[in-house]
Amino acid sequence: MRVLAYELRRLCGLRSTWLLLAAVLIGDAAVAAVLASQTPGGQLAAPAGVRLLTATVPLIPLPFAALGAGVLGALSYGHEVRHPGLPASLVSYPRRVRLLLAKLLVVGPVAALLALATLLLDTVAVHLALPGGVTVAAWAEPAALSARVSEVVSGAGLSGLSDLPGFLAPLALPAGHGAPAALLAFVLLTVVAAWTGVLTASLTRSAAVGVLLLCALPPLLESGVALLLRRTGRPWPVRAAELLPFQSGIEWAYGWVYGGAHEAVVGSVSLTDPALLAAVAAPAAVLLLAALLVQARRRTP
Amino acid sequence: MIQITGLTKVYRKGAPPAVLDLTFDARPGAVTALLGAEGAGKSTALRLMLELERGQGVTLFDGRPYRRLRRPEREVGVLLPGPGEGVAAVAGHPGRKAQGHLRMLAAAVGVPARRADELLEQTRLATVAGQRLRTFSPGMHRRLALAAALLGDPGTLLLDAPTEGLSPRNVEWFHSFLRSFGVAGGTVLVTTRTPQEASQLADRVVTLDRGRLVADQPVAEFRRTRLSPEVAVRGPQMARLADLLVSQGAEVRRDGSVGLAVAGIDRTEIGELAYRHGILLHELADRVVEQPAPRVVLPVASGRSGHLRVRPVPDAEASAEPSPEPVVDPVALDPVAPDSGASEPATDEPAPGPALPSAVGPAEPAEPAEPAEPVTGPAADAPGSDPDRVATTPQRRVPRPQDDASLPTRALPVAVVAALPALGTPAPRPAEHDDRTERAQLTQRTERADRTRRTARAEPVERSGIGAPAPTVAVDRLFRDDPVPADVPADHPVPAGEAARAKPPGRRVNADLLTDDTVRLRRLTSGATAAPAPATTDDHRSE
Repeated sequence: MRVLAYELRRLCGLRSTWLLLAAVLIGDAAVAAVLASQTPGGQLAAPAGVRLLTATVPLIPLPFAALGAGVLGALSYGHEVRHPGLPASLVSYPRRVRLLLAKLLVVGPVAALLALATLLLDTVAVHLALPGGVTVAAWAEPAALSARVSEVVSGAGLSGLSDLPGFLAPLALPAGHGAPAALLAFVLLTVVAAWTGVLTASLTRSAAVGVLLLCALPPLLESGVALLLRRTGRPWPVRAAELLPFQSGIEWAYGWVYGGAHEAVVGSVSLTDPALLAAVAAPAAVLLLAALLVQARRRTP
Repeated sequence: MIQITGLTKVYRKGAPPAVLDLTFDARPGAVTALLGAEGAGKSTALRLMLELERGQGVTLFDGRPYRRLRRPEREVGVLLPGPGEGVAAVAGHPGRKAQGHLRMLAAAVGVPARRADELLEQTRLATVAGQRLRTFSPGMHRRLALAAALLGDPGTLLLDAPTEGLSPRNVEWFHSFLRSFGVAGGTVLVTTRTPQEASQLADRVVTLDRGRLVADQPVAEFRRTRLSPEVAVRGPQMARLADLLVSQGAEVRRDGSVGLAVAGIDRTEIGELAYRHGILLHELADRVVEQPAPRVVLPVASGRSGHLRVRPVPDAEASAEPSPEPVVDPVALDPVAPDSGASEPATDEPAPGPALPSAVGPAEPAEPAEPAEPVTGPAADAPGSDPDRVATTPQRRVPRPQDDASLPTRALPVAVVAALPALGTPAPRPAEHDDRTERAQLTQRTERADRTRRTARAEPVERSGIGAPAPTVAVDRLFRDDPVPADVPADHPVPAGEAARAKPPGRRVNADLLTDDTVRLRRLTSGATAAPAPATTDDHRSE
């Protein structure tokens, strides 16, 4: 409990925390608005809507919110290395492990909140910035709604989202077919990025190196997991590929870069495929284990 | 109560240990100072105590190692220098406010935030509690770090150089705080670099030299043996005054070009003496001079650890029984010596056991205030019988901070190297070495002896007291009435000046003074009948 209280106070007492969060929120909204203003006319499908909401820019390894959360996590650990308040009190291993867990516990919810806040802000920004010719499919057609949302809507006695008052129009963006799951995955991705930031910084004992490592991880992991799946003969699930912010790894692994046919390899395996889960979870587990092992060899954070 | 047993740290294999077998206790109700020059291993020792570094040895805080303490912050307060070098060390993140920083640490320690505010008051930081740490001065940073260390209300304090680089006011504040903490029954262990601070602050002083404990003394003893009061005198007629002072039984040392450093006689007495003899004075001031710690002899070239020998402080008793060991040392260390590698005649058993007691040697010699010349004693009573003692004494005296120490320790092995091929035997007898070492030193020091003779020239040899170290004058004396020329075989060419001085000491007493003076006067003023006052000024200027 003491460690949690300490970590909360540490995080809130730093101006850089708030600056970073504000910068992520504003930057995210700005990028989303710019992306939205450049969408071609016509109906906006759910995956494209998700890309707008998460402000995913191609060739950036992580969405902005995830990157910001990762930086927050890395700074949180780098603080212990650079400015140890009571350096001698972290000599014993259990105390360092407790501190690490406390950091994970605090940074995770903060990252989740950050992701939700960016989604909220981006929804508004995208709605305002969409050009006139673009219509959101989920707003106009009840068929484009995701199953859960349409249940809720019909339960409320409405035929579609368009029956709602006009100021609720931004709600259509995250309500499209497959969008809620994708957005949930985005929140999870942000949390995982924050944790990864903490762990990489604890491994390297430096916030900057931790962030760099965090940026390098997604392409490496995607390529690795994709190659692994390909070797085992399983296709990469379409849904996962749609969700991924940085698809170059998959494209490279499956040869799409050189004009290979997507459909030939992309099957319709569900997201809960055990092989996929194992392939994704293994690196995270390895990272956590490595961090704990390295801590055991150390005397200071 | 902190019990430190056998702390040892070797950074690289083969490198000399940073800390070697450090054992002492820090008792409650007292301030214990860990004194040592930079790089002596103080901070390493402190980090080893907290097990922040891997090493050997055990440190028990009230019977438990630090890592096993249940609530370490409540039992031991630790102030380590923060990130940043020296003065730039900061207590925390520069963007954080002092109050927030301390409250955050209070949460980590598990004490209410009220306690943090109390400590801000106590460390006189309450007025700046709302300021960010980047605006803090080094003293404020250090006080904030102390406040953080005190959060858990510990009974023991471990501080690493808490006053280094601080303003006198902050230093004073720290001293008074730590002293009152000790008086209230707390255990305080503090490292420091300056002996003066150690003597002001501590009740017990543990001296480290290159990782070895060389002395563990109560502060009174420390003051007596390591700090000696002396009087700085400055004026145009210092040579005359020096003669008078020496005849009064003071120890006189040259200090700069026109100054004297006088020990063993009161300031007022000096003033009276000068007044009575019509000597003009420009300065007359008390000061405290630090005596160097007894040094540990290390094998310089070989990486064998545990090859430790402590060179005892030269007191008369020790030098009366000369042991061949320190003499063999330069041969063993000498990389060119033919016997250094294989046969190892010189690598005796490492003897830390007997070495340590003798390391505490400075306890033994009497007050430096007592005007006595230790070296003259042995030199006078046994001029030829004991060559290796004479050879070792200058070696022991070498690491003095004064300018006489410009004969470095390194010079000695080199001289031996020069002499060794001529010998041609793989394992030469120690005595021969000494002869040669001596001679080499002699030739090096010929002109130095000339100069140094002056200040101490009028000392009566009969007063060759036993037991007082009086190191400063001793060096001079050594050069002056060195009995070596008597030992030097006839086939060795001895400089004319040395030969002239190689007389039985007893006969020399009065003649020495006269001849020296006249020689000097003649040389400088080209007239043997020159008035003394201008001669002396000239003399000083000629340096």
